[in-house]
Amino acid sequence: MADSREQTGPDAVPDPQFSQRARKVRFLLLVSFGWLLALLIGAGLDAFASLRRLDAVSQEVSQRFSARNQAVVGIVLSVHNYDDQLERFLLQDQLSTPAPEIPTLDQDIAAMRAALGHFPIDDDPDAQSLIHAIQQQMQDEANTFAAISGWAANVRQQRAYPFIAEQLIPWRTHVLQLSQQISALSARKLALDNLAVAANFQTLESHLMWMVALALMAGVLMSLICGWYILRLERQGRQRYQALARSRLELEGLSARLVEAQEQERRSISRELHDEVGQTLGALLVEVGQLSKLLPGESQAAQTQITHIKSVAENAVKSVRDIALLLRPPMLDDLGLVPALEWQAREISRRSDMEVDVQSDHVSEDLPDEIKVCIYRLVQEALNNAASHARAKHANVALVQDSNRIHVTIADNGSGFDPARSRGMGILGMEERVRRLGGTLTIESAPGKGSTVKAELPLRSASAS
Amino acid sequence: MKKIRILLADDHKLIRSGLRLLMEQQPDLTVIGEANDGRETVTLARSLKPDVVVMDIGMPNLNGIEAALQISQANPEICIVMLSMHSDESYVLRALKAGAKGYLLKDSAESDLIKAVHAVAEGKSFFSPAVSKVLLDDYVRKLRRSGAEDAYDLLTPREREILQLVAEGKSNKDVANLLNLSVYTVETHRSNIMEKLNLRGIPELILFAVRKGIIS
Repeated sequence: MADSREQTGPDAVPDPQFSQRARKVRFLLLVSFGWLLALLIGAGLDAFASLRRLDAVSQEVSQRFSARNQAVVGIVLSVHNYDDQLERFLLQDQLSTPAPEIPTLDQDIAAMRAALGHFPIDDDPDAQSLIHAIQQQMQDEANTFAAISGWAANVRQQRAYPFIAEQLIPWRTHVLQLSQQISALSARKLALDNLAVAANFQTLESHLMWMVALALMAGVLMSLICGWYILRLERQGRQRYQALARSRLELEGLSARLVEAQEQERRSISRELHDEVGQTLGALLVEVGQLSKLLPGESQAAQTQITHIKSVAENAVKSVRDIALLLRPPMLDDLGLVPALEWQAREISRRSDMEVDVQSDHVSEDLPDEIKVCIYRLVQEALNNAASHARAKHANVALVQDSNRIHVTIADNGSGFDPARSRGMGILGMEERVRRLGGTLTIESAPGKGSTVKAELPLRSASAS
Repeated sequence: MKKIRILLADDHKLIRSGLRLLMEQQPDLTVIGEANDGRETVTLARSLKPDVVVMDIGMPNLNGIEAALQISQANPEICIVMLSMHSDESYVLRALKAGAKGYLLKDSAESDLIKAVHAVAEGKSFFSPAVSKVLLDDYVRKLRRSGAEDAYDLLTPREREILQLVAEGKSNKDVANLLNLSVYTVETHRSNIMEKLNLRGIPELILFAVRKGIIS
């Protein structure tokens, strides 16, 4: 009997070519995804920077606009102020209010000039010429004032109203017109600036759209490639699985046939040994017995020889019988399952230190032959393991039959083993026999805890197949 | 003297002729027929009505045990000697249950066969000494390993006497006459014996007696 506890080696052998290719594909995927990610991040950062730039430009535009407006308002106010002062100076004799001093008027002129200087001129020639016109008028006014300030009181009284009507009012109107022109100009400039901002924004928009489209295309391309690769892997996996399942099925069929062939072979060899060799030897023994009777009593040497021949033949008969029993016990056919199991239990007890009890409950006499053989071999294997490997002192075999199944339990109190790790040929053989009949086999054992082999065999499907 | 009429049943011609030669050498034995398989044995036993059937246990077309069962059911007066290669109690018990009176190993001495035929013809049992030895060994070993008591020690001397007589094939009435007891008392003793020894039926009782060497 082969050692049933031998370790089976690991069966997963890595394919170096396959793993190398898988590594390459993994690297490519990583690079592509990294590239895609970098593209997306770059596009985002770029868009962010462009937006900030645009924001700065539009803020600058509006700031410039308001500065211009403020400057224009400042100019207009200072001119008006000056004109008012001038008017009051001229009418100081008719009005009761005190006339402004000359230095105050000079200050006003300086304020006018300062307001004019605040105006952002830029490179606009229209604005320059308008500012220039205002400057010109201011100069005129300053010159005129120099003349007026020298007037005597009576001259002043006489010429004040005509001067106001002919000089001061047209001046004012002119400055207002000029300032309106400047305002219109700056409004136009604002519109132009806004247009430029809008154009900038559009550029950014199209740029962004390009980036997004590129990223999207790259993403779609990548997912297409990935999808194709996954499908390919899946197909390969399915093919491998199918091939595996097929070969497993073939293997199962093969091992089932092997078990069957083995049983058949054992049976025929056993019968051959028993019927031919055994019976011939038996007959030989009878003949030798007859021969010894025919010999005259005084031929002592011949009688001794005959006794020797008989003992040799008897030994041969015995070994032939033992071999035949081991191969295919006729008990199974002669007596039925339970007595055969009891015989086996006693047989094991005779040649080992293990005592075996057999209990059976409602086991019918006419079980299908394949079930009987299966149970017999199962018990044989389990008891042999218990006696020789586990060195058990006691084992219990229990057979219970219910309406459609038969339960076999073989429990021993031996050293036990770890069923998850040890799967020897013996256990594989048991599993194979049970699976072939559509049954289940469980082995419960742990080092130091003994072991229990349980099998459950269906009765109907077995007799149907 | 009336000769004992014997039917030989074995599927091997060599064995049959050897056995026939052996029997015919005895003045009081005669072989009246030979059968090749179990079915033929049953048929011939029914038609020839032999005193003793000497039969191999392993035969094609109905094995020896089945054949013995049919013969002893149809003709209980025919005594059967089983020839077997197996000394195990499973076989012995099955043979006894099938109605066999004698159980011989095929490699036993020729004198044992002659003795067996004579014994069963007189209504007694006969077992190969080797069989008794194997049965006893198994029994003793089991007792020793399990640490159990030998149930035979529990029997009273009277019960042992009755056990032997029953095992030898005597009826309750015979036993009652021999021991000067009432049939009812014998029956009570018998059921006590069966209970103490945990036996079911006469075949197991005979087996026990053979095992203990009470009969042979």
